[in-house]
Amino acid sequence: MPEVPPLEAELQLATRGSEMKLEAELPPGTGESRGTRLARAVLGPQPIGMAFGAPYALFIAVLFAYPLGLAVWISFHSYFFTAPGVSVARPFVGLANYVAVLTDSEVLRSFLNILIFLVINVPLTVALSLLLATALNAAIPFRALFRACFYVPYVTASVAMVAVWLFMFNTGGVVDSVLGPVAPVPSWLVNQNWAMPSIAIYVTWKQLGFFILLYLAALQNVPKELYEAASIDGASWWHRLWSVTIPGVRTVTTLITLLAIIVGANLFTEPYLLTAGGGPNGTSASPVLLMYQIGIEQNHPDFASALGVILVIGVLLIVGVQRLLQRNQT
Amino acid sequence: MKLRAIVVGALTLSMGLAACGSGAAPSSTKGATLSYGPISIWYSNNAQEITWGEQEVAAWNTLHPTQKVTGQQIPASQSSEEVISAAITAGSEPCLIYNTAPAAVPDFQQAGGLVPLNDFPGAVSYIQTRTGSLASMYKSPDGQYYQMPWKSNPVVIFYNKTEFAKAGISTTNPPLSTYSEFLATAQKLVSSGAAKYAIYPSPSSEFYESWYDFYPLYAAESGGKLLVENGKATFDSPAGQAVAAFWAQLYKENLAGTATVTGDTFADGTAAMAIVGPWAIADYQGKEGSPAVDYGVAPLPTSKGNTSYTIPTFSDAKNIGMYASCKNRGTAWDFLKFTTSASADGKLLTLTGQMPMRQGLQKAYASYFTANPDYTDFAVESAHVIECPNVPNSIQVWQDFRDDWSKSVIFGTSSPNAALASAASAINKLVSSSSSLP
Amino acid sequence: MTQTGRTVDEVAVAPDDVTSVEPRTSHSWWRLTVLGIGALVFVFPFYYMIIGSLQKNQNTSLSGVVPQPGNITLRNYGEINAALNLGKTLINSGVFTGGVLLATVVFGVLAGYALAQLRFRGRGLLFVSMLLLLMVPFQLLIIPLYVLIVRYYGLGDSYLGMIAPFAINSTAVFIFRQYFLQLPKELFDAARIDGANEFRILTRIALPLVRPALLTAMLLTFIGPWNEYLWPFLITKQQSMQPLAVALANYMNTVQSTVSNPFGTILAGAVVLAVPAVALFLAFQRYFVAPNIGSAVKG
Repeated sequence: MPEVPPLEAELQLATRGSEMKLEAELPPGTGESRGTRLARAVLGPQPIGMAFGAPYALFIAVLFAYPLGLAVWISFHSYFFTAPGVSVARPFVGLANYVAVLTDSEVLRSFLNILIFLVINVPLTVALSLLLATALNAAIPFRALFRACFYVPYVTASVAMVAVWLFMFNTGGVVDSVLGPVAPVPSWLVNQNWAMPSIAIYVTWKQLGFFILLYLAALQNVPKELYEAASIDGASWWHRLWSVTIPGVRTVTTLITLLAIIVGANLFTEPYLLTAGGGPNGTSASPVLLMYQIGIEQNHPDFASALGVILVIGVLLIVGVQRLLQRNQT
Repeated sequence: MKLRAIVVGALTLSMGLAACGSGAAPSSTKGATLSYGPISIWYSNNAQEITWGEQEVAAWNTLHPTQKVTGQQIPASQSSEEVISAAITAGSEPCLIYNTAPAAVPDFQQAGGLVPLNDFPGAVSYIQTRTGSLASMYKSPDGQYYQMPWKSNPVVIFYNKTEFAKAGISTTNPPLSTYSEFLATAQKLVSSGAAKYAIYPSPSSEFYESWYDFYPLYAAESGGKLLVENGKATFDSPAGQAVAAFWAQLYKENLAGTATVTGDTFADGTAAMAIVGPWAIADYQGKEGSPAVDYGVAPLPTSKGNTSYTIPTFSDAKNIGMYASCKNRGTAWDFLKFTTSASADGKLLTLTGQMPMRQGLQKAYASYFTANPDYTDFAVESAHVIECPNVPNSIQVWQDFRDDWSKSVIFGTSSPNAALASAASAINKLVSSSSSLP
Repeated sequence: MTQTGRTVDEVAVAPDDVTSVEPRTSHSWWRLTVLGIGALVFVFPFYYMIIGSLQKNQNTSLSGVVPQPGNITLRNYGEINAALNLGKTLINSGVFTGGVLLATVVFGVLAGYALAQLRFRGRGLLFVSMLLLLMVPFQLLIIPLYVLIVRYYGLGDSYLGMIAPFAINSTAVFIFRQYFLQLPKELFDAARIDGANEFRILTRIALPLVRPALLTAMLLTFIGPWNEYLWPFLITKQQSMQPLAVALANYMNTVQSTVSNPFGTILAGAVVLAVPAVALFLAFQRYFVAPNIGSAVKG
C-alpha cells in the first residue's frame, strides 16, 4: 500500500496550489476552440469536476454552512419556536445570550462535568488501549478473535449498550452484587460523585476498540531497529516503553486527547439515558444535553444556539492548537 | 437557569428593546371555526384512557360518518409536553389533545399553538356550567380559555397496608395527620424493616416532579395558595418553609430515596407510601410478576394536622386543548362537547377512576360512588384542587423551582430557606417579564 | 452516541498485517492473560444482554449471570415487539441507513474522485469545507438544523428529514479521496487519450481498483445512522416513523412499568438493535480494521 501524503501537505497543496494548477497540466487533447480554452481558464482544466463535486458542495452549503450561519444569527436574537404561520418579533439582543450562557450555573457545571470526564477518560483510554495494543502486537493465537472482541462495542448502538449498562450498574444490579459492601451508596449512576465517572468509564469501554486499532497501527510503524538497539543496550521493558514505544505513538496519543474532547463536548445519549437526563442534580449533564433540554424542551433555542456556537469555536480552537503543536513537533 | 433569566432580562431591558412574545397571533382564520370534516385527536397512552378514547371515537364516528375522527395515542417520549411542542413547531399536531397539561398552556399559547375556545359561540358558558367556579383557574391572563378543563386526579397519600401492618402501625387510621406524626410513622416503617423507604417521590429534576412532592403539601399547608399569585411567588413564606423543612428532614433521615429509579416504587413495595391521584390505582392492581398492593388512602398532612379531604391539594389535571393547525374546528368543537357530556364523563369515571371536572360529581354519578366507596374521597377532594398558575414562562418557572428544590431539599447542598428565596426572586422576574427570553 | 461520526478519526483504512511486530515475542503468556481479561470485560455485557433478555423474572444477583433453566423465556421478545412494532422500526432504521448509504456512495464517490483526480475551480474550497465539516461535530448544530428541517422545510417525521444531515458522510468522502489519490495518474491520462469521459473513467477504471475502500467506507457509514440516536429522536415524534434506536430509548424512558420484566424487555430490544451491526462487522471484519491513521494525523 503506497504511503498516503500527510494531510497538512495535502491541505497546502489544495488551498495554495489549486489556483496555480488551473492553468497547468492540461490533459492531452489538442485543437480546442478559443471558447473552450476560455472556459478552462475560468472553470479549471476539468470543469466536469464541478459537476461531480456539486451534490457534495450543495450538501455542505445547505446542511452545514447555512445552519452554522443560522446558529450565529439565532444566538444574537431573541428566538423561540412558534407554530407555522405565526409571526412574532425576534429582536436583536446583542451578546445577551452569550452572557447568559457563560454565567449560567448549569452550563458551567456541564463544563466542569466534561473536565471530570476528560480527567478520567483520557488517561484510562491511553493506558488501556496502549496495553491491549501492545499485547496484540505479536503473532499470538486468537489474534483476530481478540481484536473482534475489543471492537464490537464500538460498532454497536449506544442505546443498546446503555441498556445493558443500566441493567448492570443499576441499584442492586450485578455490579453491586459482585462488589457487595464495597459498592457505592447510592449506586453508581444515581450517585452524585459517581455519575460522571461512570459515564467516563462507559465511554472508555465503548470506544477502546477503535483506539486499540489506532495504537496497533502506530506500533507497527515504530521502526524495529529502535527496539533492537534498546535491547542491545540492555534496557528494561519499562525503559523501552518510555524511550521507544511512547514517543513512537505520540501522534495517536494526541489524537486520542483531541477526540476525547470532541466526544466530551458531544455527549448526549449517555447522560440522557444512563443517568436519567444528566442527573443526579446535574452532576452528569453535558453541554449538548443542555442544548437539547434548554433549546428544545424549554423552548430557548437562542440560548442553546449561543452555547452551540461557543462549543464550535472551542472545538475549532482546540483542533487548531493541536495541529500547531503537532507541526512544531515534526 | 435563574441567572440566565436575570442576566438576559437585564441586558434586554438595558438595551431598551421591546420584549416580544406574548402577542403571538393564532394563525387561524375565523372561518375555520365553522369548518366541518375529518379531524384527528391524541389521547394519553395508559390502557384505561385508550379504551375510553377508542369508545368515544367509535361512538362519534357512527353518528357522524362525514366527520370522521381518527384517534391515536400521544407519541411516546419522556414528557407529553415535549412531544406536543415539537408538533406545534412542525405544524403536525392534531386538532385535539386529551392530555394537555395546564402548566404547559402558557407556553403553547405563546407559540401560537392553541385555539382560544372563546371563538366558539357559547363556549364560555359551556365550560363554566360544567366545571363551576374551578373553571376560572384555567382562564389565561388575556381572559380567554385556551383549554377545556377536563379531568383531575386530586393528589393524596397512598399507603401500603401490608407494610404498615408489618411495622405495627394502624392500617385503618395511620398517624399521618401532622408532620411530626408523619415523620414518626416514616421512621417506624424504615427502622422496622417493613419497607426500604417510607416514601419515594421521583428525585429527578424534570420540571413537573414538584407537583408530587412540594406542591400538594404546600397547597394543604398554605390553605390553597398557588405557586405564583398576582405576579409574585408565594412560597417564600412560613408555609413554604415548613413544607421544605419537612421534606428535607425525610431526605436527611433517608426515609425518602434520592436515587432515580426505574419503575414504580410504591407498586413494587420499595416505598410504603406515595403521593398520587386515583389514576395510579390501576398500577397497584398487580400483574404477572408483581402482586397487587393492598393500599389505603389518607389525606395530606399539614404542620398543624389534617384529617379531612377538603384540604386543598394539587389537581394533577389533564385538559383538552384545540391546536392551531386544526382545519375543521367546527367538528373539533362539537367532538369536544361530545366527549365532555354527562354521559362521556360518566364513562371516563367508570373506566379510569379519574375525576371529570364537573360540578356535583357525587350527585351526578351516585351509583358509581355507591359501588366504589373508595373513590368518594377523591370526589370530595376534587372540589378543592388548585392548579399550576397560568403565568408566562410557566414551564421554566417550574424548572427553576425544581432546580433549587433538588439542590437544597433533596441533595442537601444548600439551605432550603435560602433556596426558596432565590427561586422566588428568579420566578418573580420570569413572570413579570412577558418576554420570552430565558 | 459517542461516535463523533464526522471527525477526522475514522480515516483511510488499510488491510492489517502483522509484519512489523515488536521483536521479542517469546513470552506470549502475559499477552494472552491481558488479552483474555480484556476480552472478557468487553464481551461480558453482550453475553449478559442476551441472558438478561431471556429471563422470565429479572435476576440481578450473581446467579442470574448463568442461565437458569427454570427462568428462560422468549416472552420478552414478544413484549418488545408488541410495544414497538419491531418490524416497522427496523424498516425505519433500514430506510434511514439505506438512504445515507446510497447518497454517500453515489455523491461521495463523485466528490472523492473530483477532489482527488480532477482540477476545477473551487476544488480547494470544497476540500477545506470538507475538513471543517469533519472537525465540527454535528451535534453542535442541532438547534439550527432542527429549525431548518422541521420549520423551514417541514420535514419533521419524515425519512428525508432524518437522512438529510447525514446524507453524505464526509469521512467516507475523505476515504474515497485518499484512495483515488493513490491510483497512478498515468492510468487516467491513458484513458483520456482514448477518449473516455470522466464518468466512464470513474466507473470502469477507478472504482474497481478501490473496491476494498468502498466496502470500508460503506461499513463505516452504516454504523453512523444505524446507531444514531439524537437526531432521529429530535425529529421523529410519531412512533411509526422512529428508527429502532429511538423507539427503544423512548420505551426505556416511559412505558416500562406495564410489562412483567421491564429490563428483560428492554434488553430484548437491545439485542435486536445490536445484532445487525455486530453481524455485519463480524462478516466484514477484514475490512474494518487497522485504520491507517498516517494520512490523518501525520504532519
